[in-house]
Amino acid sequence: MDEAALILHAANGDTAAWEPLVLAHQEAVFRLSYLLLGDPDDAEDIAQETFLRAWNHLKRFDKGRPLRPWLLSIASNLASNRRRSAGRYFAALTRAFRNEPTVSTSTEEKSARHLEAGELWKAVQHLSLPDQQIIYLRYFLDLSVMETADVLQVAEGTVKSRLSRALERLRGIIQKDFPVLAEWREGPGT
Amino acid sequence: MNELQRERFEEQLHSLAKGLDYPRTPNVTDAVMGRLRAPAPPRFLSRRLAWSLTVLLVLCSSLMLIPSVRAAVIEFIQIGVVRIFRAEPTPFTPPNQELPSTIVPITATPAPTLQPLMPILEALAGEMTLEEAQQAVHYPILLPSYPPDLGQPDYVFVQDADGAMIILVWMKSQQPDRVWMSLHLIPTGSWAITKMGPTIIKETTVNGQSAIWAVGPYPLQFSNGKLDFVRLIDGHVLIWTGGEITYRLETDLSLEEALKIAESLEPVR
Repeated sequence: MDEAALILHAANGDTAAWEPLVLAHQEAVFRLSYLLLGDPDDAEDIAQETFLRAWNHLKRFDKGRPLRPWLLSIASNLASNRRRSAGRYFAALTRAFRNEPTVSTSTEEKSARHLEAGELWKAVQHLSLPDQQIIYLRYFLDLSVMETADVLQVAEGTVKSRLSRALERLRGIIQKDFPVLAEWREGPGT
Repeated sequence: MNELQRERFEEQLHSLAKGLDYPRTPNVTDAVMGRLRAPAPPRFLSRRLAWSLTVLLVLCSSLMLIPSVRAAVIEFIQIGVVRIFRAEPTPFTPPNQELPSTIVPITATPAPTLQPLMPILEALAGEMTLEEAQQAVHYPILLPSYPPDLGQPDYVFVQDADGAMIILVWMKSQQPDRVWMSLHLIPTGSWAITKMGPTIIKETTVNGQSAIWAVGPYPLQFSNGKLDFVRLIDGHVLIWTGGEITYRLETDLSLEEALKIAESLEPVR
């Protein structure tokens, strides 16, 4: 059964039809939530909540649309709200009282590529939330401009102009605060 | 950036972003399907009440898996909006052992995923000046006058927690990205905060009023009727009330120092 047929069945209350759809999209939803929140536990909460909300609103979903952008749109909104919640602050504050975390062996052993990717993520976190969202969708989750527009519910032209501005800002941050990435950006082939 | 530079930059972003090391994707499917297939609550219960009861049931069931909690989750102490369930002061189950799935072990969070506090503070809603905060709430904001050189908080937030809750944060002078102390002023009717079996609970007094000193680790539940979640917390907290306000002082100081601070509160000058 294809996705559209599964959505149709699920919209009529068939939970068995919803299960393969959750399975198919859980990774993208979890990863976007993780990128926005930086905490796997928070991301898991948001991923669960995303699929429950989507289930509750399936009847109103346009069955002709692909499911993934809609799910990512819900996850993005939920994660944005969670970023500013009091509860998350309590948890973060508590962690801040503990000793500085030690660097684990696994971190030390990570490949240079993973470390660079981690640095890039840190650089993106310096951007505003809307800039982060568009960069995560386009470059980290590898969505097309059309899919990104669908998630953000804006025109494709708007995605392009927003991306352009976000990239300029990201480049400025990398040049100023992330010299390792700046070297990479200016490296061979540039 | 000209068009060529931008294309090159985008290619590099695509390439590098693919190398990000994500945590393993959890089994969201089973959790979601389990929740969808759970029997609906009886119709005579309101949604809010049904939700609260469900959360409580799940929480209690989960906690009963912890031997130290199973031993004595009967009695509780209520200080303002904070409720602390007594449990035997035995060591808490280490997070890598049989921890119920509803409890999120912060202390077990691997180092790479620990987030610095500053970005979260910067992203937290409701930051304002002390003067603005005082105008935003209907109760007087009290500040510690001890230690004498404490000064005003580095951060002031007013959060909508079903009541205007004030969060005051003082950073360490030598490490300005580290928190030295935080004080929460939580009006009656706000979020209910529940602690389950801290490692140490000590009853004490602040200005002659009952107070509680709790030392973690312990599961901490936040709930406001719309959202509930549980965290495993490892911190020292002094909780007391004054009028309609519950005060929650979180610090790594000793109880004696925390009491001096609590008893030194006075209105903003």
